[in-house]
This record gives sequence, C-alpha cells and structure tokens, in this order.
Amino acid sequence: MFKKSMWYSILVIAFVGFVILANGFYQAILVTTQANPQPTSESAPLESAADLTPSSKNPNTIQMLILGDSVAKGTGDEKSKGFSGYLSEYLKNNTSKEIIADNAGIDGLESTGLLEQLQSHRLEEQLTHTDIILVSIGGNDIRSILTLNSFDKENEFKVRLDRYLSNLKLTFKELRRTNPNSIIIFLGLYNPYEKATNLVDSQLLNSWNFNTQQLVETDGKAIFIPTYDLFKYNTERFVAQDGLHPNSAGYQAISNRISRSLEMIIAGL
Amino acid sequence: MPQTPVLELTNLRKTIKGKDIVKGINLTLHPSQIFGFLGPNGAGKTTTIRMIVGLIKPTEGSVKICGYSVAREFVKALSNVGCIIESPDMYQYLTGMENLLQFAAMNKAISQQRIKDVIEMVGLQHRVNDKVSTYSLGMRQRLGIAQAIISKPKLLILDEPTNGLDPAGITEFRNLIRKLAYDEGMTVFVSSHILLEIQQMCDIVSIIKQGSVVKTANIQDLLQDNDKIEWQLSDPETAISLLREHWNIQASQLKKNTISANIGPHPLDKLNEFLISEGLALTYCSATRNTLEDLFLDLTVGDEIV
Amino acid sequence: MFSLIENEVIKMISKKRLLFVIAILVALISVFAYGQHHSSERIKTQLSQRMGISATTDWHKLADQQLIELKNRLDSPYRDEKDKSALRVRIEQLQYNLDNDINPLEQSAAKFTTKFMEQSIFLFLPLLIIMLASDMVSGESSSGTIKLLLVRNVPRWKVLLSKFLTLIMLEIIVLFFAFVLSEIISGLFFGFGGWNAPVATGFKLVAGKLDTSSVLNVPQWRYTLMVYSLAFFVSFVVGSISFMISVLVRSTAASIGIIMSTLVAGNFISYFLSDWKITRYMFMVNLRLTDYLSGSFQPIEGMTLLFSILVLLGWASASIIISFVYFTKKDILV
Repeated sequence: MFKKSMWYSILVIAFVGFVILANGFYQAILVTTQANPQPTSESAPLESAADLTPSSKNPNTIQMLILGDSVAKGTGDEKSKGFSGYLSEYLKNNTSKEIIADNAGIDGLESTGLLEQLQSHRLEEQLTHTDIILVSIGGNDIRSILTLNSFDKENEFKVRLDRYLSNLKLTFKELRRTNPNSIIIFLGLYNPYEKATNLVDSQLLNSWNFNTQQLVETDGKAIFIPTYDLFKYNTERFVAQDGLHPNSAGYQAISNRISRSLEMIIAGL
Repeated sequence: MPQTPVLELTNLRKTIKGKDIVKGINLTLHPSQIFGFLGPNGAGKTTTIRMIVGLIKPTEGSVKICGYSVAREFVKALSNVGCIIESPDMYQYLTGMENLLQFAAMNKAISQQRIKDVIEMVGLQHRVNDKVSTYSLGMRQRLGIAQAIISKPKLLILDEPTNGLDPAGITEFRNLIRKLAYDEGMTVFVSSHILLEIQQMCDIVSIIKQGSVVKTANIQDLLQDNDKIEWQLSDPETAISLLREHWNIQASQLKKNTISANIGPHPLDKLNEFLISEGLALTYCSATRNTLEDLFLDLTVGDEIV
Repeated sequence: MFSLIENEVIKMISKKRLLFVIAILVALISVFAYGQHHSSERIKTQLSQRMGISATTDWHKLADQQLIELKNRLDSPYRDEKDKSALRVRIEQLQYNLDNDINPLEQSAAKFTTKFMEQSIFLFLPLLIIMLASDMVSGESSSGTIKLLLVRNVPRWKVLLSKFLTLIMLEIIVLFFAFVLSEIISGLFFGFGGWNAPVATGFKLVAGKLDTSSVLNVPQWRYTLMVYSLAFFVSFVVGSISFMISVLVRSTAASIGIIMSTLVAGNFISYFLSDWKITRYMFMVNLRLTDYLSGSFQPIEGMTLLFSILVLLGWASASIIISFVYFTKKDILV
C-alpha cells in the first residue's frame, strides 16, 4: 500500500534526521559557548613590538610613528608601501636622512579608538622616541553619516563633530604628555565619493576639515596637510579599487605633499 | 441478578456554568437488553451519554461499565464500549476501510477477519474503498456502526442514530440493531427523541425530562400499565364509587353512560366480573391501548407527572 | 503508541497538508534561488564595470592582494589579540578559496541551502510548522472526529502524545525537504559543490560587544548541519506553542490566526522595542538562533545562544504542560 510505504519512509527519515539534528544542535551549542580551540599566542605581539623599538638613537635616522585609521596604515596601496615607504624613499633620494617608521594604524579606527589606544600606554615606548608623528583619523567618524537622510544628517554631523573634536583635543594632550617635542603631521580628509556627492555633503566635509585644522593649529608643532583639493579632481586616479582608500598613486601624492612641507624641518633634525 | 450489570449509573450529575444539565440519574442495564433513552431535545440525553463514555467528567456520581469505573479505570471500562455520539463524524479524507483501520489500530484485539466481518455485517463491502466524503448519510451511518461494533463491545451506545435516515433506512437500521443485540449478545443503549423508534426497537425504556429520569420500565409493562378502559354501563356514579372503594381506581365520567379509567395492573376480566356482580348492566367495554407517545406526552409535557 | 503515531501520519498524508507545505517550499526555493542567481549576475557586471576588470577572472589577483594585506595586518604588533582570530579566520577562508579555485563571489548550492534556512528560521519556517501544527487537534475538534478518538480504550494523554510525536516527525520531514529541495534547486543554478568550504563561526558577546576572539572556521557541511539543527529546535518550539493553541481553540483557522499574529507582532517588537528588557523573554524575539552562529546578531547584553535556547525551551515546556493538562481534563462538547 502506497500510504504504508510512505509512512515507513517518513519514519526512517524522521528517526535518522532526529539523530543527526540532535548531534548538530549539540555542536551548535558547543561552538558558541566554548573557547577557541585554535592556539592563540599571547606573548608574540609583545616580543615583536619590542624588536621594533629602536634601541639606539642614530643622528642620521628619523623615527616616525604613524597613527590612526586605514589610511595611516596604508590600506588600498597595491604596492603595500604606504606612507612609510614613500616618505623614506623621498627622503633617501633628497636628503641624507633615513626614516625608520613604525606603523600603528588600524583599519576602521575612529577618534575614540585612537584615544583609547593612546591612553592604554601600549605605544608609550615608541612615542617617547619618535621624531615625527603622522596622524590620519576622522574618516571613519564621518563616513557613516553619509547614508543618512539630509535632515538627520546635519544633526548627527554636529554630534559627531563635537565628539570628534573633543577626542582630538585629548589625543593631542596625550601625545604631548608623552612626547612634547615631536612634529605632528595631521592629514585632512578627502572625499572618495566625489562623483556622487551633493553640495551639502561637501560643505559638511569642508567644515569638518576646517574645524580639524583650527584645532591642529593650536598645537605649536603640528601641521595640517589637506588632501581634499588633491583628490577632488583626481578620484579616478588616486582612489583604489575598493572605492574608498587611496591607491599607490594616491599615497604617493599625499607623501609628496608631506615631504615638501617637512623638507626644511627634517634637514634640521 | 448475580451478573455484573453492563452499565451502572449512580446518581450521575452534571452542572455546566451553574446550570444543572443532568440531575442525578440512576440506571442499571443487564446484558442483551435494548435500552431506549427517550426524552425531548435538550433533556440531557447527550450529556448523559458523553459522561458514560468519558468525554465529559461528571460533576457528581459515577459511571461503571462492566464493573469498571470510567473515571478510575478508563481503559478497561472503554474496552467494553462502542458508540456513535450524535452524528457519525468520520475522517472525510480517508476511505471507509482506512477509517476502520484507524480504529482497529487503536485496539490490538481487532483482527483483519473481524474488519471484514463487520463490513459485511453493515453491508458496505462494495464501497469500502471509496472516500467517506462520497458517502451518503445512510452509508456514513453504517460505517459509524461498523466502527462502533468493530471491537465486539459488550455495550453499544447510539446517540440519535436515525437522525437524517429515510424510513427504509430506519427499518434497515432497526433490524441491524436487533440482530446485533441478539446475535452478538450486545447490550444496546439507544437515545432518541422519536418515540416510535424506541417503541419499535427497545425492550426497556427510560424517559428523561429536564435532566431527571421520570420513568423506567419494560416497554410491554409500560404500555399495559397504562391501558385506558372505557365502560358503557347503567349507573356511572355507582360504578365510580365502587371502583374507588374496592380497587382504588380513579374513574371519571366521560359521557352520560360512559366512564373511563386507568386500571393499572388490575386484570380487566376480574374488574368486569366485579362490576356485573355488583348488579350493573355492562353494555360495552373497550380498552384503548395507549401508544408510547401518549405516555411520553403524559409524562413529560403534562402538568403533572404520573 | 507506535500504531497511534502511524494513524496520525497516515491522516496527515491523506489530508495533503504536508504536500501543500512541500509545494510551498518548492515554489519559494525556486524563486529565491532564481533571485540569488539574478543578483549575483548583476553584482558581477557591476563589479566589472566599476573596476574595469572582470571579477570572474581577476578575483585571484584581488584575493591574493587581500591575503597579503591580511597577513600584514596579522603581523602588526599593535593589533588586539581578539581581532587576530577574526583575521586568521578570514585568511584561512581566502586561502581555501585560492587553493580550491573557488570564487568567493560565486554562490554554491551549499551556501544557498544554508542561507535559505538562515533567512527562513524566524518567519517562513515557523509559518510552515504552524500550518501543520495548528490543525493537529483543532482539526479533529472542528470535524467532530475527536469524539471517535477519545472513546477508545486509549487514555487521552496517549492520544495527545501520539499527535505531538507525529508533529515532531513532521517537523523533521519539513526540514528534510527544505534541505533536499534547496540543495537540488539551487544546485541547478549554482552547481552542487561547496560543502567543504570553511565558514566562520564561534562569535561571542563580551561586555556588550561582539567578541571575535574565539572565531574559528568550520567546514560548510558542519555549519549547515548546525543551522538546520537550530532550525529544528525553532520548529519544535513553534510547533509546541501552536500545538497548545490548537488544543485550546476549536477552530483551525482561529488557531492559525492567533499564533501567526503573535509571530508577526514579535518581529515588530524585536525591531521597535529592543531596549525594553522584558521583550527578550518573548519567544518570537529569540527565534533567530542562527544569527548567533554567523555573528550577525544585534549585540544585546545577556542575549546568547544558550540564553535564547533556554527561553525557547521554557516556552515549549510550558506549552506542552498546558496542552496535556488541559486536554486530559477538558470536556468534549463538540
């Protein structure tokens, strides 16, 4: 009988299925509650950090510490050089000095994160010995508001800007507490979405950059390097395939600008 | 009787939402009887039956089937019962055979042979593999009986079984029930509001009114019991007083020379002899046999209950 | 007991309700698979337009670049330890894709089968289960056949238990068909492979934030198994609740209506009232169990897989207890 055989197949499937699913259920609980079976090397980063710390001070080397977000880190550069690469290249070719750079950039870092990073004193060692500090921050603070509608956007923008500026103030304070003499290079924001941007967005970005620059200028040994103008008509050329970060040429262009601003100062170091 | 009664109701009561639906029914049924449970609609017949088969819990009192209490030994008690409660609702999307197999699967005592026998007994052998949704009401009723008797119950309960059957169907049904009662030794409990049906089918009848049994008796006795006699005689007044004094019979004068009375258990010939011996000229005597209907109306509708 | 379950299953088969559920599954999976196919095609063309490369041929380069980058990041001394396992997992996945020449942008039947269940677990799957469960008792009440079942020499709790076990069996059958059908249908679109690809799981919630420190890769087939197991658990819970309503309410339509509106309301509640603490004890809010596996859940402090499972278990056992107590006590008046 047809129904009879159907009943038996249902019975078998249900029984086998139950055993399998019960097993899977157990695994699912296990995987979300248990600790990772993969080995995590707790001490490794500390050792490597120690290695990178310069032990002696050479008059012909300049210590540079790069802080901030993915742009600081060099994300998007298909040649994987980043600022440290291009800047040292430039200096090697144009001066007698050599740059030793430490890159502490973290993808997706916001101003709050940078402040936390500094307050955790993990970078204390590098900070005290560095001559130049390159900071790129703020892009991730502002980026997410672009998707909001125009009404929310302006309100949210004010909130974010206030928070960002107060973070930045504390960041400078923290930097200066550890190292009062180094030169701080602060990168402005560019607009990677130039083509798709309306007037309001540009105004917001400019006001962000303007406020940042004002704050940066209050520190006597800091310079603000704008990038907005550099990218405005060069998005095609300077933005990487991900549509957000600079590409190799973009990093190169920013580096050139930094180098020229620094030339005289570096020569004196 | 030394035998355990097939069905024993003791002071059965049911109150639903503060209303007394059944008010203390006592009843004892013995094997191989066909019992009629007669009452107008809303008298509490179905509620009583539902309590017997355990669909409803009694507020008070107990039901025993073949000596087993329905409340305490449900499985044993219900092993002895087959029933149709109101309409014979079956699984419409299954065939008649599949329906029976469903019920057979619930009771290990039912063999394949028994299923076949039952189908033949109710005369469904030609349509048993069709879906129930294609059946006529009569066929559904027969399938209902088939599922009720499939486990060879000692007690067969039929609630309003002839509802919706045509006269031919009713006759057929009556014969089937009689056959089951006598051949298979089942006690049959039939509830109905139709008097003729009960009168024709049952041995014993209980009449229920507003939740209480008003009368229980053998049908023959009940009918005999209430024979109404009419006498035409010379001196009605004397006759009435004589009957009252000597036989305790309440007679009444109908017409000039006619009196009538319910004589109860007294034999009519003795009464006639008595009247003649008292010197009354008896010209005519007739016994109008009461149908159960008169009785039923007398008992349930009339202002006073006998 | 066994034959009672057989009875119930045969009724279910004859009623064609199960068939109906399977038909819905076929229809929905087909539409879903076609949609996925369509959108992945579109993404590919978009990619090639925007980047001037054809994503299908050049993905190796892209992945290589990403891989180097990730490795650099992993070596960075300034990285938090907890970020690192996420990186490692991502590297493993990319490496696997490269080694096995699997374009990560391409769909596979395995991915689809999993994704389908992840998307269905909080609404579509429960609806299917409701369609089966709501009829189990109220269907018999409304047709009057419940009387026939309860006047047999079988105690009421056994009748109900057989129905409940049948429901559990049917839940497994529904999942079985959901799995087989989505594998077959999506296999026609995307090919049948992908069962060994690594999938990241093991996300945790620590101090209100998504903690990726214990993330690890499991093979796709194991991940799928876990997803379907959680789906089974959800079916069990939703089934128990609708079963209870089916016991309490006489009409099938009413019982479907009640449980469905509860479910839909639950989706609203979890959306609008997510900071109201009491909502987390509602069963509807806890149905998205697979989100805990994929790490795509809203980080709410105190909500973990175990928590959700316990809440759901509480609901299910309460429903079962109420069903049985009520069913064995109630007067059948139909």
